[in-house]
Amino acid sequence: MADEANTSDGLYPIAVLIDELKHDDVLLRLNAIHRLGTIALALGPERTRDELIPFLDESVEDEDEVLVALSEELGNFMEYLGGSEWGHVLLSPLENLAAIEEPVVRDKAVESLNKIAADLSPQQIEEYFIPMTLRLAKADWFTSKVSGCGLFTAPYSKVSATSQEQLRQQFSILVHDETPMVRRQAATNLASFVREMPPNIVVDEMIPLFQHLVSDDQDSVRLLTVETLIAIAESVPKDQQSSHGVLLTSLRNLMEDKSWRVRYMIADRFEKIAKAVDDEVVSRDLVPAFVKLLKDTEAEVRTAIAGQIPGFCGLIDRTVVLNDIMSSIEDLVSDTSQHVRAALGTQISGLAPILGKQETIDHLLPMFLQMLKDEFPEVRLHIISKLELVNQVIGIDLLSQALLPAIVQLAEDKQWRVRLAIIEYVPLLASQLGVEFFNEKLSTLCMGWLGDTVFSIREAATHNLKKLTEVFGVEWANEAIIPRVMQMGSHPNYLYRMTTCFAISTLTSVVSMDVIDKSILPMLDKMVEDDIPNIRFNVAKTYAVLVNALRKLPEEGTLYSLEKEGTEFSPSPRGQELIQEKIMPKLKKLQEDDDVDVRFFATTASADPPAAAASAVPVAGEPMNTSP
Amino acid sequence: MSDLDKAIAQLRSCRPIPESQVREICHKARELLIEEGNVVTVTAPVTICGDIHGQFHDLMELFRVGGDVPDTNYLFMGDFVDRGFYSLETFLLLLCLKVRYPDRMTLIRGNHESRQITQVYGFYDECNRKYGSANVWRYCCDVFDYLALGAIVLGASSTLSSTMEPIDEDVEIEVCDQSGGTLSRFSRQRHRQRPDSSSSANGVPADRTGPPGSGASGSSGGTVGNPTGAVLCVHGGLSPLIDTIDKIRLIDRKQEVPHEGAMCDLLWSDPDEIDGWGLSPRGAGFLFGADIVKVFNHTNDLSLIARAHQLVMEGFKEMFDASIVTVWSAPNYCYRCGNVAAVLELSEDDTGTGIFSRSNGDVGRSKPPMLENGGLGNGPARRYRVFQAAPQDSRGMPAKKPVADYFL
Repeated sequence: MADEANTSDGLYPIAVLIDELKHDDVLLRLNAIHRLGTIALALGPERTRDELIPFLDESVEDEDEVLVALSEELGNFMEYLGGSEWGHVLLSPLENLAAIEEPVVRDKAVESLNKIAADLSPQQIEEYFIPMTLRLAKADWFTSKVSGCGLFTAPYSKVSATSQEQLRQQFSILVHDETPMVRRQAATNLASFVREMPPNIVVDEMIPLFQHLVSDDQDSVRLLTVETLIAIAESVPKDQQSSHGVLLTSLRNLMEDKSWRVRYMIADRFEKIAKAVDDEVVSRDLVPAFVKLLKDTEAEVRTAIAGQIPGFCGLIDRTVVLNDIMSSIEDLVSDTSQHVRAALGTQISGLAPILGKQETIDHLLPMFLQMLKDEFPEVRLHIISKLELVNQVIGIDLLSQALLPAIVQLAEDKQWRVRLAIIEYVPLLASQLGVEFFNEKLSTLCMGWLGDTVFSIREAATHNLKKLTEVFGVEWANEAIIPRVMQMGSHPNYLYRMTTCFAISTLTSVVSMDVIDKSILPMLDKMVEDDIPNIRFNVAKTYAVLVNALRKLPEEGTLYSLEKEGTEFSPSPRGQELIQEKIMPKLKKLQEDDDVDVRFFATTASADPPAAAASAVPVAGEPMNTSP
Repeated sequence: MSDLDKAIAQLRSCRPIPESQVREICHKARELLIEEGNVVTVTAPVTICGDIHGQFHDLMELFRVGGDVPDTNYLFMGDFVDRGFYSLETFLLLLCLKVRYPDRMTLIRGNHESRQITQVYGFYDECNRKYGSANVWRYCCDVFDYLALGAIVLGASSTLSSTMEPIDEDVEIEVCDQSGGTLSRFSRQRHRQRPDSSSSANGVPADRTGPPGSGASGSSGGTVGNPTGAVLCVHGGLSPLIDTIDKIRLIDRKQEVPHEGAMCDLLWSDPDEIDGWGLSPRGAGFLFGADIVKVFNHTNDLSLIARAHQLVMEGFKEMFDASIVTVWSAPNYCYRCGNVAAVLELSEDDTGTGIFSRSNGDVGRSKPPMLENGGLGNGPARRYRVFQAAPQDSRGMPAKKPVADYFL
């Protein structure tokens, strides 16, 4: 938009921008760089190529901040040059930027160069891009070489066989460079480079390079070769792999590397490696290696490998899992590091489908029980959050017998956040356990939360009741929970009495006209007279929610069930009647209250439907916004 | 949704509001605060909180445990700013809530609500960093000058209502941690006697502590205080220049906290195990002993003084036969002290007898009608809610580098 405006406004603004490119103030220069497109548009393609680009070519002596911006802008500059046939013009300034000391600038320049390479024709690549790559790669100073490493993959597939060979040779020189910075960069880019080549070239030329990097004396280089290993293994057909002993030897070396950072990389990508190599290697080498990593001395390595458990175990035979791996996994349950246990907690359920019912009962359940008693809540939560997988395998009966006591214990945990997390799982558990079981075992727990000392728990408890009502239906709610909620309304402490108001507001969408008329409104009638203004204005807020619901509610059914079924329904006249006879008089009284907040909320509640819906309802129904 | 409600929502998510809006809100707040006396009268129920010190996420944790505004009534005893990373958001949120719900929120001044102190302990720098100028700091400091110096809570119940089951009427103090249960309860002391100091080996009265491993205890004994119920809330403590609450009411408070004098003492003093008055190591205010508190409470018909100002590892600490209590509401103070925090809930008087409601800090105003027959009314029932620092994952990402206006 601004561009078009500027072209018609004449050249004066452009002159200003061009001046600003040379301005003393960094901020102005930065601003001008960000608007290079505008300048180029005004100059036209030809002058951009002939004047602007050469000018930029010389402006590499600037603050890094400006240079980063310039590198980025140039990556999107093709359109201002008059099409991709002029794209190579951009290479020159970017080449200079790619040689800068500051890595951020170089990285941006390389990124932009690769973007441009995608749009260049094979001829341009041959003529301009490859010579540039080679120049950078052959430079004296390591900064250029590091940038050069990133510029081999993009042009490779577009050029002739001879140029390809040239590129490979140059890359090989970089791999053998004496500075670790360059070798690291070469190792990083080798994986993507390998993916561009056919298997025979990979085997002949790339495996030796890989081999060289694997035996590097810097662990920071070695750890980068794990990705390369995967890339090579993926490109070499599985049946040919065994003939390349080098690959296997390297893999073994990496797995037993003395640096834990290298072992961590292996552990972190174990499943990927297992998928890339052939089955024989998996059973002969990887299974023992897996067990070894599970027992690694470093907690970070164990954490990483714990994350691979279901993925890797899914690839191998069940008997192997049971015989060779299971006992090591069982050891992790009592690992000294809580992070390892937490990682195990998220993954272990994934073993259930792999193991089948009997083995899950024999092996996994004891582990679950132990981890549910873990002293770190995170571990326990991870277990509970993944119970569904286990449930599918062994069924709810066994699961509840084994785990319910532990869950009940968590539900009474000293840490309120642990209790909060458990509350969230209760509806899920309830729907699986059935109403009878729930009434017997969990209902007391749920009602207890209504009177919890922590406000957030009381609030969550009301939302929990709503979800339970969605599961078990309004009849159940009327019998099981409404009386208990109403009971809270006569609690001597105002903070607990308020729970009744919150609960009614949340439950409104899942109760029927009858319940509102017979249970809820009489209770509110009493609470309207409360001594504490905080209760009175919460009653007003609750009335607002009820009014909103009664305007829509038919004689039978609840808003939730009807909307879920998608059936059309029309409001019952009884709703209007209730509003006019039972609610409005109360609200009118509250509007004349002594307390200003009571008057405010009562007025909002009795306002027109749109206003009430817009302001009062979300306030009452939404969870409290105290987390960022 | 009004602009103020929007500002509150934005501040709740820990994002500062624009400078122009700060100015407007500070202006409104001043109009509101100027109407308040030096000693604000607050009716129970109310939840009393101590120092916050810019620990915004812990303030949110406080609301999660104690209930949200306006549903719960709060009284904050000063020191909202400094030391923590979010003084600005903390103070502005509390101020916005004060402006939006003046009857539900009470803010009184702490020693950190001062131009001098905030320039040293972080609030000034934070405003400068977040807005690129000191204007917001200046607006806030102007509000500081108008904050009340103390509050007096009337009508607090002398019995505790428990969470679910009715407790014995004689329970006077209940300490709840974040578990569903209660840490400890203390019965009212029927035989008013000082704890026998010789009972513990080193001569220091043995403090009761909470269950092992809970990390929370707080020391409390039953009240031996005056048979009346008013609670005085002040940030620091007493002053040798103040013998009645009316003397506080006479101070001209609309000024920077002075280096000495009554106003300074109220914000700076600390109770200590001494006789009479002593010099404060802080260089401002005084130390005062049990006898001072006793006489003051008697003269002013107070049963309890609630104050903040000092870190207590257990979140609260009752001293001098529960005639004064320190409440501390900044868990893991300075993000490193490892302490728990507490708020003090004074519940409403559900008996309807309202034996305390007539006490307003004047001598002899509250004749306790029920004292002789019931043994009740020896001070308000106190429920301490102990809580811990908000966990890391509820803190969200560290605040983004603020985009300074001058940059654009």
